[in-house]
Amino acid sequence: MKMLTKLLWSSGPLLIAVLANAAVPDLSGTFNVATLTPLQRPVEFGDNLYLSREEAEQITEAEAQTIAARSATSDPDREAPPEGGDGSAGAAGNVGGYNTFWIDRGDDTFAVNGKFRTSIITEPANGRRPGLVPAAQQKSAARSASFRRPNSGTAWWLDQTGPGPYDNMEQRPLPERCILGFGPVAGPPIVPTLYNNVKRIVQTADHVMILAEMVHDARIVRMNKAHRPENIRTWLGDSIGHWQGDTLIVDTTNFNDSPALRGASRDLHVIERFTRVDAKTVHYSFTVSDPNVWQDSWSGEYPWPQTDDKVFEYACHEGNYALGNIMRGARILEQDIEGSAASGGEE
Amino acid sequence: MEVVTAKVVTLKRVAAVVGFASLMLGSTQSWSHHAFGAEFDPNRPLILRGPVTKVEWVNPHAWIHMEHTNEAGEKEQWMVEGGTPNTLLRRGLTRKSLLPGTIIVVDGYQSKDRSMRANGRDVTFEDGSKIFLGSSGTGAPKDGRDSKER
Repeated sequence: MKMLTKLLWSSGPLLIAVLANAAVPDLSGTFNVATLTPLQRPVEFGDNLYLSREEAEQITEAEAQTIAARSATSDPDREAPPEGGDGSAGAAGNVGGYNTFWIDRGDDTFAVNGKFRTSIITEPANGRRPGLVPAAQQKSAARSASFRRPNSGTAWWLDQTGPGPYDNMEQRPLPERCILGFGPVAGPPIVPTLYNNVKRIVQTADHVMILAEMVHDARIVRMNKAHRPENIRTWLGDSIGHWQGDTLIVDTTNFNDSPALRGASRDLHVIERFTRVDAKTVHYSFTVSDPNVWQDSWSGEYPWPQTDDKVFEYACHEGNYALGNIMRGARILEQDIEGSAASGGEE
Repeated sequence: MEVVTAKVVTLKRVAAVVGFASLMLGSTQSWSHHAFGAEFDPNRPLILRGPVTKVEWVNPHAWIHMEHTNEAGEKEQWMVEGGTPNTLLRRGLTRKSLLPGTIIVVDGYQSKDRSMRANGRDVTFEDGSKIFLGSSGTGAPKDGRDSKER
């Protein structure tokens, strides 16, 4: 007994860590979370959470055909794209993006318990984020009016009062500045994106790290601890964890004013659950609430398939020439108008 | 009446399944590292032809350097923006995947700062074939030395 006591004293922390680890499932591994199933359910599916197997196969086939079509040979004698823009929507903003071979958003839809899903979001029943509260609606509308216009290749913001979208680098979106990946890739909650969908979980007795490849965002989950004082706020928030049976529960609060989750406020609260299903799968689910933004909380789930792939280095800042191009470009477009005005409006 | 309604719903759902992947693409494409619409000028379309001089396989987006000869016969050094190289690394990208000297054709739009930078809206070999294949699992990239290679 004396010997055992002595042994415990001498190797106490290590022994406790080993015992604690032995008692809980091992979530560690590398996962590729890419999926064709969207976060929000297409409205055509209404409250239906499930796809039939045939529908899931059709979606996989349609995606394969789309990729094959986009991989087809282009006209080697093609001309420049249209003057005034090619009409591309979204991030491709009237100038197009880049070839499909850069994109890796998975080959198929995901299934839970053998049933294919129409969306990651499970609550509300329509699989879509709840409506915004009035204050958030106003904020969103004001932001759209001030900062979002089609790309015309002109400094349109000079015609409006108030700040323009390119006045200051700190106004630019977090992914553009390499502060956080989009999606959000590292959460919370973690949402699949167009590419860089590989995650790594490293688990010890007192910490769990969740690493996202894009912008090498790493969330450090402190196990069995209380949240930090509420004046300590960070981009990814403060994540604390505990085990509830075989499920790791991660509770995250203490965000700064710009969480990675689009539209969320500093009062965002996310609860995530990680459960080891089998040697090749971890089931991931989450519940999001933010009384400043959404009328209700919302929840979702999807499987994380384990992969032999590695998480590659990202080194986002070093190669981020785009931010400089964007800011210099805005100054030149402004000079087009200001220079023209100074010379009496003549070309 | 109910039967008709049910049929309409079913038809909408069939259409949604066929367009599911594009719906998903539509919902995520508005998100990217940065909006190309912020960086490139729709009033400055261009087509570039010439040899690769260097490739920067860097994040967040790769840059392909190339030499284009303009209509006046002058050689211009352009940089063309692509996507994240990590995706291509998983498909077998190596330092030999797109070697200097390989003739490529690029269409896109010039950067708003009017430097010799453009987006690579479509980057191909001189015969119009794509430099890499389009999906995970469809094979490793070609090495770039043989423009006829498929």
